[in-house]
Amino acid sequence: MKSIMSITTSALCALSIAGAASAQEILILAEDVPAGLNYDGPTAAIPSSQQGMVTLLEPLVGYADGEVSDGVTLPDFNTFEGRLAESWEFDEASLTWTFKLREGVTGCGGATFNADDVIYTFQRAKSVSGAAPIGWFLSNVASIHGFGPEVFGDDASAKELGDSIVKIDDYTVQIKQGEPNALLLPVLTIFGLLIFDKETMEANATDSDPWSHDYVNNTNAPGFGAYCLESWAKNEQITYSSFEGYYRGAPDATRVSVRRVPQSSNRLVVLRSGQADLVTGLTPREFNSIAEVDGVTVAGITGNENLFIHMNFDVAPFDNVNLRKAISHAIPYDQIIATGYFGQATKWEGHVPSTYPGFTASAGFSYDPEIAKTLLAEAGYPDGAGLEVFADAFALSYVAEKESTLGPIVNVIQTALRDVGIPATLNPIPQTQYGDRQLVKRDLPFAVNDQEKPIGVDAGYAVQLFFVSPEKGGLNNMVNYRNDELDTMWSGARVEPDNATRDATLAKIQDMLAADVVWLPVVEYRTQWAFSDKITGLKWYPDNSIRYSDLQIDE
Amino acid sequence: MAAATQELMPEQATYIPPAHRADWLMRIGVSIVTLVIFLAIFGPYIGPYDPTRTTIRIAVPPPGFTEMPRLFWAWIDGTLDHPPHWMGTDANGYDIFSRVIAAPRTDLKIALLANILSLIAGIFFGLVAGYWRNWSTELLIRVSDVLQSFPVFIMAMVLVALAGRSATNIIIALAFVYTPIYLRLTRAEVLSQTSRGFVEAARAMGNSELSIAMRHVLPNSLTPALIQSSVTIGFAILLTAGLSFVGAGVRPPTPEWGLMISTGANQIVLGEWWPSVFPGLAISLTVFGFAVLGNALERRYERG
Amino acid sequence: MLLRYITRRTLIGFVQLFCLVIAVFFLIRLLPADPVSRLVGLNSSPEAYEQAARQLGLHRSLFDQLGIYLGLNPEIAQGLLQGSLGTSWATGSSVGSEITTFLPVTLQLITLAFILAFVISIPVGMLGALNPGKAADKGIFVYSLFAGSQPEFWWGLLFVYVFYFQLGWAPAPLGQLSPMTFPPEPVTGFMLIDTLIAGEPAKFFEALHHLMMPVITLAFILSGPIIKMVRQNMVRALQSDFVLYANLIGLPGKRVARYALRAAMGPSMTLIGILYGFMLSGAVLVESVFSLGGIGQYAIRSVLAFDYPAIQGVVLVITAISLIVYLALDLIHAAIDPRIAY
Repeated sequence: MKSIMSITTSALCALSIAGAASAQEILILAEDVPAGLNYDGPTAAIPSSQQGMVTLLEPLVGYADGEVSDGVTLPDFNTFEGRLAESWEFDEASLTWTFKLREGVTGCGGATFNADDVIYTFQRAKSVSGAAPIGWFLSNVASIHGFGPEVFGDDASAKELGDSIVKIDDYTVQIKQGEPNALLLPVLTIFGLLIFDKETMEANATDSDPWSHDYVNNTNAPGFGAYCLESWAKNEQITYSSFEGYYRGAPDATRVSVRRVPQSSNRLVVLRSGQADLVTGLTPREFNSIAEVDGVTVAGITGNENLFIHMNFDVAPFDNVNLRKAISHAIPYDQIIATGYFGQATKWEGHVPSTYPGFTASAGFSYDPEIAKTLLAEAGYPDGAGLEVFADAFALSYVAEKESTLGPIVNVIQTALRDVGIPATLNPIPQTQYGDRQLVKRDLPFAVNDQEKPIGVDAGYAVQLFFVSPEKGGLNNMVNYRNDELDTMWSGARVEPDNATRDATLAKIQDMLAADVVWLPVVEYRTQWAFSDKITGLKWYPDNSIRYSDLQIDE
Repeated sequence: MAAATQELMPEQATYIPPAHRADWLMRIGVSIVTLVIFLAIFGPYIGPYDPTRTTIRIAVPPPGFTEMPRLFWAWIDGTLDHPPHWMGTDANGYDIFSRVIAAPRTDLKIALLANILSLIAGIFFGLVAGYWRNWSTELLIRVSDVLQSFPVFIMAMVLVALAGRSATNIIIALAFVYTPIYLRLTRAEVLSQTSRGFVEAARAMGNSELSIAMRHVLPNSLTPALIQSSVTIGFAILLTAGLSFVGAGVRPPTPEWGLMISTGANQIVLGEWWPSVFPGLAISLTVFGFAVLGNALERRYERG
Repeated sequence: MLLRYITRRTLIGFVQLFCLVIAVFFLIRLLPADPVSRLVGLNSSPEAYEQAARQLGLHRSLFDQLGIYLGLNPEIAQGLLQGSLGTSWATGSSVGSEITTFLPVTLQLITLAFILAFVISIPVGMLGALNPGKAADKGIFVYSLFAGSQPEFWWGLLFVYVFYFQLGWAPAPLGQLSPMTFPPEPVTGFMLIDTLIAGEPAKFFEALHHLMMPVITLAFILSGPIIKMVRQNMVRALQSDFVLYANLIGLPGKRVARYALRAAMGPSMTLIGILYGFMLSGAVLVESVFSLGGIGQYAIRSVLAFDYPAIQGVVLVITAISLIVYLALDLIHAAIDPRIAY
């Protein structure tokens, strides 16, 4: 009896192992496939291209797993985990980080990882030879020594790594900071400093393109990630096959194909028919419509996606704080959550993502048209009288390509504002123009923005990026907010080594932002995915790209 | 394509069916056009909802046929808490019926203004090119050629990218499309006019070239272009709708048929047909009405 | 004589094209948005901006840029004279290669649509012309007026709703093939030809299946003016002297009809050319409804991304094709019709 049982059990075990070893391929539908794989290239800012980069390349450092919500694992932003770097030490006196690199890591095509690859990557970043200097930017934000604006000149020696980043031996690298800055480890997790394989990159360099930008823009990104590039047709599809020797274990999904299906409703259709396994980028309405369908799972978490209203201090009448406050009470937050997001959002109570370390809930705006009208009168425009002259300023801009997602929201906002007497109209503009006016010209008066997701997971990073005066380094200060007190407070907090003090200062800063209604935070909406029931193990990352190596496929 | 057919159609003799059989078709055309003009003037006021205000009812389907009489009477009696959505609502919460009947104002305004602009420019240049034949007028025709082979949609998008989405920009883009057509029509007519005797006679009497051109040739050359314009207005509506559909048209939430179809296009695969079908039906009938009317006028002219 | 005419028209065509290239070059540089902004995304420091501008070649003077574009400075970059349309700023690939990916899709679509439209329109138009004034003719006339005034994108959506969503006869409007299928090696760029070259008949039929609805939609719209034109020209031809003579000497009706048809096709050539040229960019509406990824969608995407080289490339290619088509038809017409003076 026993022997029969044990034979049966072992037979069953053998069968299940055999089952697990069979090829597991998944088909993903996305708005676009990578248009380039180069984080220093022209497509660096495009999420679908970033997805390709994080699939093929690996960072030095990552976050440990945190809590699980709705089946999706969130990172624990307070705990770092080694990836290509195994461990590290920080010497406060000399501001030097010593990274011990992982041995035995290999990549596609026989690549082997060692300190040379790290040095190569940083040297390439410092050469700022690509179309966009993202690698340099992140290094600069983390105050890595030698990565200042001087590299942009014609002086070739300014582009040398020098002693900022030094190879001690094949598996040890030292990185020196120019000042105390808590952002070094967070920055090393970001897609803009993923490690390239030096040998393959150099083999594909040319005289006119010594850093292989053309190669990475159009052919492949050689590195140490979980997948190898099998085929890539821009604007059509990209296929990855898993790398058996991935140092964290061979991925469950042996082959991942991503097809470009630009319209979200079309992606929905294919998923519903069972032909695709995972889709991203549906509208809240579409997610809502398949949440109950058999065979399909919809999972969502609150990550770092948010929606706020942007009012430019440099454009009248938005320099009037009472007007700004009036508008803050004229927005029907609950209606937006209900009809714009189908409940998959929460009211945003601050100016930085609530999941980020250093966040304080400071904004307490409520929907109250009566208060809005009173404040409007206090601002000098009773019932909106006198605002007609600012008609151009009240054209609510938004990205035209996102009409299907933002449509219900901007229309509700427009109607609500008109109800209190503010002559709002709608102004959809193409993404490129929106980006230009927001970031370069900074002249967008009034807009709805749902694409600011600070990639540095830190409230301080967000403050630096968005709220410090443009002249003092606020690179994305789209509303032209200038507050000397904030600037001073931040310049102190930036290099503050004690976390408690830093957090306290950041809390005060966030209170100031709320008092001046620098941004009008509306909601934090959930990042959602829809996928077939056989997939589990999804993890969320701050760049909103999933790592295919996390996926578990049950047949 | 609709614009392209203007090129050749009017120059060729149209088949003339016997008068009494033609009437019913023309009556249909006239009724449609009259209805559209009526809506252009009164449309935004007679709908149950404000066409630019959202309601909180998202994507409500239209009532079934059997439902409608009951709803209608309930509405008259005042027992409903909100007016019925005869054509349903779209994903943003707008009442579709109110917007469908408010749209003719936008579309007709654009079509009319674009037409007038291109008529003036086309007739003027056509007159010049037909009357004075030298290298500069030859150049004019070549430029007109190039304009015609220019991809319309791309040009409109570039214009929109240049100056933003607004009715004015569409009018300019449409004017670019239709001016060459009127130019050719007028020029052909002018050429045939100047080969007739009265021009020689006027010259012999000592009239200046300019006065001959303006007082004798021009009035006689207007007809083909004017006849053409009634059809062109209809096609301008098509083009406006098409431009709005690709995102180069009017700004939301202006009610405009093409824009409504575009907003509703994503929902078709979800089975929600009403946001796109009703505006499309409206365009379909309207442009057909204008085409019929234009055709009838053509026939009158040919006969006369 | 004919040769001189051909040379003259070809030269004029080249001049037109050249002027167009220059005009478009300057026109799109009037665009208000900065293509640089797309690159500086995360980081808009003045240094990064400079860097990006340098990458795009925008730091040079306008005329220098024009010179490079035309191919006058091949050491800096390839230009028109070398046969290169430049590099797309949005994707980094060569504009020429992108256009050769997208253009065949549109060409395939509209060629098939024209063929279908002809197959329908010629018999119908002839029927109307041979039975003037009868009920059939009246019906045909009304149909032609109706079809020619329809919004094709709406009919496309309607077909999707009825034939895909309700009846399930047509595939989902997801592109040339279903997302599950790997496309064949792009040899010519025409999906139907490539599937046959690759020896995969199953994919050929799948592509045909996916093309079914867009082609029917376009053919429906095209049938309007084509029927009208065939009918009118046939009627004219039937009223001409030689047909009168043919009838008088007792030729069978069918034969006469065929002669008349041949005579009717001549003047129709110009319209076909104009329609075809227009459809190159006009098909974008149907292309977007069915997600086909043709040249129109590429053009729109380029305009929205302020991708100067791509916009220039697309405008150049589409206009060049239209001009070539007009030129060819003008020449054919001139060769056939002795009334046209060179």
